[in-house]
Amino acid sequence: MSITRRKLLGTSAFAALAATFVGLPGISLAQSTSPVRALTLYSRAQAANPQQYQAAELIAQAWSDLGLDVTVSGLPQNQLSDIVWYNRDTWDVTMWQMVGRPERSDPDEFVMNLFHSSNAATGFNFVGYNNPAYDAIAEAQRLEMNRDARKVLVAQAQQKINEDQPYAFLVYPTKSYAYNTAVFDGTTLVDAPGLGIKNFMTFITVNPTGTQRDLLMNVSNELNAINPYYISGAGDSWMTELIWDRIMRIGADGLPQPWAAESVTWNTEGTVATIVIRDGMTFHDGKPVRVEDMIFSLESPKKEGTAPMYRPFVDPIQAMTKVDDRTFTLTLAKPNAAFETSTLAKLNIIPEHIWAPLLTALAAGESAESVVEDTRVGSGPFKFERWNQSEVVLAADKGHFSQPKVDRVIMRVVLNVEAALGMVRSGEINFLTDYTGDPELLLSTAKDAGNIEVMDVVDIGFQFLAFNNRRPPFNDPVFRRALSYAIDRRLITGAAWNGFGRPANSHVSPALPFWYDASTEALPQGADLAKKMLADAGYTIVSGRLNYPAGVTEALK
Amino acid sequence: MRYVLSRLFYSILVLWVVGTILFFMFRLMPGSPLTAFIDQTSTLEQQQALIARFGLDKSLFQQYLAFLGNLLQGDLGQSFFHRRPVMDVVLEALPNTIILTLSSLILAYVFGVLAGAYLAWRRGSVAEGIGIPIALATRAAPEFWLGMVLLAFFSFHLGWFPAGGANSVGLQYSSNWARVFSWDFLHHLILPMMTLAIYLQGLPLLLMRSNMLEVLQEEFVTMGKMKGLSSRTILLNHAARNAMLPVATAFALGVGNAIGGNVVVETVFSFPGLGRLLVNAVSASDYPLAQGAFLIITAVLITMNFIADISYRLLDPRIRIASSI
Amino acid sequence: MLRPSEPGLADVPAQPARARLPDLSAGRKRAGFLREIGRSLQTIAQVPRRNAYAAIGLLIYLLFVLTALLADQLIHYRPLEILFSDTYQLKRSLPPSSDHWLGTTQGGRDIYSQLVMGTRSALAVGLTAAMCVVAIGTLVGLVSGYFGGWVDNLLMRVSDIALGIPFLPFVIVLAAFLGASQTNIVLGIALLLWPNSARVIRSQVMTLRERAFVEAARVTGAGQWRILFVHIAPNILSLSFLYTSVAVGWAILTEAAVSFLGFGPSNTVSWGYMLQDAYASQALGREQYNWFLPPGLAIVLVVMGGFFISRGYEEALFPKLKG
Repeated sequence: MSITRRKLLGTSAFAALAATFVGLPGISLAQSTSPVRALTLYSRAQAANPQQYQAAELIAQAWSDLGLDVTVSGLPQNQLSDIVWYNRDTWDVTMWQMVGRPERSDPDEFVMNLFHSSNAATGFNFVGYNNPAYDAIAEAQRLEMNRDARKVLVAQAQQKINEDQPYAFLVYPTKSYAYNTAVFDGTTLVDAPGLGIKNFMTFITVNPTGTQRDLLMNVSNELNAINPYYISGAGDSWMTELIWDRIMRIGADGLPQPWAAESVTWNTEGTVATIVIRDGMTFHDGKPVRVEDMIFSLESPKKEGTAPMYRPFVDPIQAMTKVDDRTFTLTLAKPNAAFETSTLAKLNIIPEHIWAPLLTALAAGESAESVVEDTRVGSGPFKFERWNQSEVVLAADKGHFSQPKVDRVIMRVVLNVEAALGMVRSGEINFLTDYTGDPELLLSTAKDAGNIEVMDVVDIGFQFLAFNNRRPPFNDPVFRRALSYAIDRRLITGAAWNGFGRPANSHVSPALPFWYDASTEALPQGADLAKKMLADAGYTIVSGRLNYPAGVTEALK
Repeated sequence: MRYVLSRLFYSILVLWVVGTILFFMFRLMPGSPLTAFIDQTSTLEQQQALIARFGLDKSLFQQYLAFLGNLLQGDLGQSFFHRRPVMDVVLEALPNTIILTLSSLILAYVFGVLAGAYLAWRRGSVAEGIGIPIALATRAAPEFWLGMVLLAFFSFHLGWFPAGGANSVGLQYSSNWARVFSWDFLHHLILPMMTLAIYLQGLPLLLMRSNMLEVLQEEFVTMGKMKGLSSRTILLNHAARNAMLPVATAFALGVGNAIGGNVVVETVFSFPGLGRLLVNAVSASDYPLAQGAFLIITAVLITMNFIADISYRLLDPRIRIASSI
Repeated sequence: MLRPSEPGLADVPAQPARARLPDLSAGRKRAGFLREIGRSLQTIAQVPRRNAYAAIGLLIYLLFVLTALLADQLIHYRPLEILFSDTYQLKRSLPPSSDHWLGTTQGGRDIYSQLVMGTRSALAVGLTAAMCVVAIGTLVGLVSGYFGGWVDNLLMRVSDIALGIPFLPFVIVLAAFLGASQTNIVLGIALLLWPNSARVIRSQVMTLRERAFVEAARVTGAGQWRILFVHIAPNILSLSFLYTSVAVGWAILTEAAVSFLGFGPSNTVSWGYMLQDAYASQALGREQYNWFLPPGLAIVLVVMGGFFISRGYEEALFPKLKG
């Protein structure tokens, strides 16, 4: 293959050279234009993410029809983030993904973080999108406490992004989960929008029907921490939300509701919340959960360098005051529509008597993230029992106000998707919580087995192609639009994601039906349209290569 | 004795050189080694603090000295990913690898020696005509492919064996010994063990056969025949015993080489051993862990080379003559 | 994966240290360099007529070399082309048919075409790596064996180091860090596999050095290097050839393993790449034997070809070993 490739490249280089010679007299006649440089389209390596890599190859094929010279480069995660995240001026186009998380069921995080210009330098706006009109909308929706008024703003934000196409959104993947119907009563699972049956509520309500009373689940990556101040990956975030309780939880309807609090009441301006905690809660070491622990949990990440991951979420808090043994007030500088979801339902309730000494003992430059506890003490419905390289074992807390029906939750690390499937078939796993393989194969396996039920859900997260908005020609919205329109979403969904996904064109997923703006779905597509748009904008094709409009020269290598 | 000491000295020297090569290889890789582990939202100061925590802000030479100093104390550093000492992580995986390697090697050598002796005895027969090409074919087959075929057939098709791992979910044992000698562990071990054994048996088989052929021509065998000993007695008592010596040496070398080579089989069967640990560490750019796992594999390899070297010399007097030419 | 560092590995000469080369130069003390080489090559060429192993091995190689050369004509599709049906459906995991002789992959590629193209990268990696290994090995063996003393000592200690590095892990680390390319895989193989051939050739040179014809050359005033390369080197050519045929196999196996683990180049189709793709795309669970059996069988066949050749030549040229 390498030989053919080299030969092909050799021939094309030769042809190009010949064309230059033949074309020499022509150049002086025609107005001189400059070809768009050869582009590298980055992606995860094929082995690590075959769907994404396949999509990249399809896009490269489509773009070469426009006269672009595109090479797909599959890289390991660290090299990819080294380029895309830490050297933001150096790349042109890359495949990327945003994953769904419970707190992302409020659109604020994506609307604000992904495209607000203040996040362009080091934050989540890695594509460097900069549009003051968008910034204004994003800020306004955060301040708007009226849900319907806010919905209008969130829709506007989506339309702006649709106009400017800083990303070419590709697909909201469908995630597949499966459980063993011989072990669990299927009617007791909670199916949450955007999250599916693997969500906090399911772990509480799922009812084992027979002698197997352990919930055996899988995760496809190794864990590197179980720490209330740190989320290192999907697997440990599932464990922390079971071990440590939260003031509020995201309910089955995708909205936050009081959990460890009896009530959360806001003043009319939306700046002061009065929080009454439940009576009689205890940590797993027997100590009571006090108002002071709640305040400690919300205050400790504020200190520089303690919990960098959680700090942005407690930043809006201006003050907290204990009122009595069960009540405290919390004051925000300005109203924040996403606060309940992004803060009260996200931050773990951490026992002050354990963590206060740990935090004071931190060496300079160390954060709470690097603390490795011998045991983990929370107040959630499951107690931490043990964790070795291959599995985490949690036991139900019989004294919890919302006592789980299962006896234990055991999460097994299964790096290989084939092995995970085999384990579901053999019953070694009875709740498939992390399946990254071929959904069709899962369905046929379930059909053969007879006692496996597969449940799909459209993800809050999405797969997309990111343009580097800083670099010409991608700083030109027309160019971005044309390239985005050249991609056939249906083809990509079918050919790369095997039909298990939904074509995407918004950073707010249809998994959040209240916020999703369906008008973004009217995305014009087709190679001919893209060619026409480029031609209208002055781009030309010279000996098969796309050239800049007259007067624009290639400034980059 | 002098020979043993000098070989020992060389072995340690080799270990040091390999360690040094490794250290610089890992340090001179492009990009910050911590990139994959620095939280994308952390500030520059935090990133620098993290870099300092792993000692990566010091000069390369200082880092090297620290590395050597720690190595002498059996400290392989901290894993970026696991946030635990590399030694702990490696020692968790090592027993699985050693058991897999030894059990498959023993199986392979017992079979290989017997089959090799048989083929030597049946020289020129149909059995030999078929046996040798088969032995060569098993040596030519990639282990991971053998593993894939066995996995597809015995695990996915027939469902006889688990699809991966070393233990079933949720089981807890009083000790590592209890775990390793449990039926559950054996059940998980069989497929990877068979894969390795099929691959490994070709060497002892061919080696045993050619040694037997050579020994059978030597004088004492002829003497035995003249004395009227039965061919069976000659085969078992004299020829086999003498032909075994080089095979024993090959076994020692085999341990060293197989531990490094287990990488692929452990990956196919998701078997939590040293090789898979190394592959995962390399993929995740966990340099300290990759370096530590590599060093442990190297140490085993060099130790086994040393043992093989010594035993070969002690067991086979002809070598001494040969090398004194 | 084992590597041929064991003493007396059966697919390299058994007990090489004690092997005696046929004295090709007996009675021809002043034979010219080219003539020496010519005679060595002639010996090499004659073997297959006498030995079935060598003949079969060479036949296998011929088959693969022809496939590699004619690959462009033999393939039905470009090996990495994503194929669609007339209705724009991806041709995913199709069973073998007249259109796709070995079916298609989960990503919609033609398996047969990949298998054929894989021959090229297998032979490219195998042959270049083997050449490098044997070239280094022969050179080191010659110099070390002929000059002896500190040169010999130094080179042998270096070979100890190379033998002390776990082979496959080293190649993986190298490919992971220097970049996933076949060049880096070849580099890794070349850096670590030479000591085996070097040691055997060294001991041969040590015995050749004492032979009459070398003595004669020395008496007539030939320079050291001249003796080494003109009088001694041609005599170990057949031994080098033997090692090459085995090293090709090791290199192909290594490349396959490295690619299988995902450290190979993603834009070059090799058999290891195919197996990696099959494994990662759950071909085992789908029981797509048509996908993961052929590349493995191809590897077995070509590596076995190398073993056969070396075995055949060993039996023919070093009959003492045959017993």
